[in-house]
Amino acid sequence: MLKNASLTLLALAIAIGLGGGSVWYTLDAQSGGGAIRIGPWTAFPDIGTLDADPYSQARVARQGALTLGRAEGLSFIAEADSSGEGLRRNCSYTIEGGTPTARFWTLHVADQALDPIASGRPHQAALHSYEILRQADNSAVITVAPNAAPGNWLPVNGTGPLRFVLNFYDTPIAASTGLSDIKLPVIVKVGCNG
Amino acid sequence: MGKLLHAIVIGLIGAAIVHIVVLLLVPEFSERDAWSNLSMKADFYTMTRLDAEPGSPAPIKSIDPLFAAAACRFDLADGMVQVTAPGALPFWSVSVYDRNGHNIYSFNDRSATNGQMDAVVLTPAQMIEMRKALPDGFEGSIFVEAPIEEGIVVLRAFVPDESWRPAVTKFLSQSSCDLQQF
Repeated sequence: MLKNASLTLLALAIAIGLGGGSVWYTLDAQSGGGAIRIGPWTAFPDIGTLDADPYSQARVARQGALTLGRAEGLSFIAEADSSGEGLRRNCSYTIEGGTPTARFWTLHVADQALDPIASGRPHQAALHSYEILRQADNSAVITVAPNAAPGNWLPVNGTGPLRFVLNFYDTPIAASTGLSDIKLPVIVKVGCNG
Repeated sequence: MGKLLHAIVIGLIGAAIVHIVVLLLVPEFSERDAWSNLSMKADFYTMTRLDAEPGSPAPIKSIDPLFAAAACRFDLADGMVQVTAPGALPFWSVSVYDRNGHNIYSFNDRSATNGQMDAVVLTPAQMIEMRKALPDGFEGSIFVEAPIEEGIVVLRAFVPDESWRPAVTKFLSQSSCDLQQF
């Protein structure tokens, strides 16, 4: 009797624990249905639309976010560098390369919950394409580091996981199906403090 | 041993069912969704800034720190809603969402007449009425047909640097969200 009851309890614990936990895990991960991966960057072009899959819909409802529409732009998120190692706030990175066609783009640093990280300085922890210094071939080299760097500097501080958010505004890639053809910058780790 | 294995298999099947049920119920039972957060902040037809204030988080999560945004809730069952904002900025965009936060329609300043923000959100039935005789004051408006009743319209403006902040603040604070009857 007791054995049966404990077996039932075990089955229930597995069902509820694993079922609920897996939902929680998949909603936090920057992957899953509808994701498009280009190098280290991930985008959800359908997120927030009626075409979105249940995972994207649940993600939107849980975050309380109102996502960018297709005529507004498309958001790419990176949680690892180009070698696949997770991004850390106490490390320095170089983001380098060309960007797809868009009226302009912005880049900012965010924490795990995708809330922007304040730089704690007069210099905002965000850059956009109108203020970027460019190479001769029109590409940009951006240094993400805790200490000031020459050229395009994106300040970070603190410790813990880091996300890069690259938003393209008024861009044809948000509406096109050829999203897999586009090229995005690479993220290279330069070094870490401590 | 066989019974234990049986219990684990049942548990795994149950986990799959719970996973699907929880996933589908999350949007239904979410109390932190955009509509709920916005309704705590302001009534229908009131443009509200979506920035974080000291001491309280932003009603709707910011997508980009270089953007400022304002939103208003509307109900097309009452009539159509006209959204306007003055001035010219480097970039602004508008999205219309249904009550569950699905993006129904979006456009940016390139779609607007002379770059002036003036849009009317209305149902297909109201659009038919509108086509019969266009009333005064809607000549330059962008008409957004939305097959919904309750919804949210969000106005986003790009702030390239601090010198643009006053213009963006004026754009958003003087924006209006008015119920229109005709």
